[in-house]
Amino acid sequence: MATRTLPVSKRGLNFEMFMWAFTRFTVIAMYGLILVGILGALSISARTGANFGDILYWAFFPHLAANPLEQVWMTILAKLMVTAFILVVCGHGVHGVLEILDDYFTSAGARRWSRNFIIAYAIVASLIAMYVIWTS
Amino acid sequence: MSLRRNISLSSGLSYRGGSPYLAYIMHRIGGSALFIFFTLYILSLLGMSFANAIFGNWFVQILLLVFGLFHVINGLRITILDLVPRWIEHFQLAFNIQWIVYALLAGYAVFVVLRSAFGG
Repeated sequence: MATRTLPVSKRGLNFEMFMWAFTRFTVIAMYGLILVGILGALSISARTGANFGDILYWAFFPHLAANPLEQVWMTILAKLMVTAFILVVCGHGVHGVLEILDDYFTSAGARRWSRNFIIAYAIVASLIAMYVIWTS
Repeated sequence: MSLRRNISLSSGLSYRGGSPYLAYIMHRIGGSALFIFFTLYILSLLGMSFANAIFGNWFVQILLLVFGLFHVINGLRITILDLVPRWIEHFQLAFNIQWIVYALLAGYAVFVVLRSAFGG
């Protein structure tokens, strides 16, 4: 299979190109946040002697886990990381679900309403998630 | 994208696209599974107990893990090949590595869920 030779400057920045880049960068952000979460949890486990289950719990549910070192900045950092994760997941997911819906809703009206619905869903879900994260 | 498709469901299912086609379909199913997971997670955060009950079911856990893991691993392969186009020449090798990693992780995940559900 041949490699692509078209430079970025000639690809243009249309909607498809923008959404392609957006989807790729949000997924890289997700992988980055997961990696930072796991490394942070590993760092804490070295100090507290925690097991593998604790490490995964701190990495993926840091806003729910009890703060093992009882430092306020860690709690704030954990909440910020989860908030960032929720937002990039919503951005990535909205585009993915829209791609699938566009394949099955063929009329222009149905596509417009599916777009409105999924974007509204993402906004509402993000707001609920952030409310729960910052008040828990 | 064309608004007309003249492909029946049986024709679509019998399409022999091989490993890339299977990955494409499973990536979509995995994305949909993660969307359902995200929705249930939000509902459980809101304190709706039925969402927690669904999460507690071993069959739901297996479905979410098997398809969700595939979405994550396949997405990583797509992202790497998109960002480093010269590696597309090694597309088949990347696919083989992906399937091996997926089989190991999904197999272990299913084993853990089943052991937890039935093995005590």
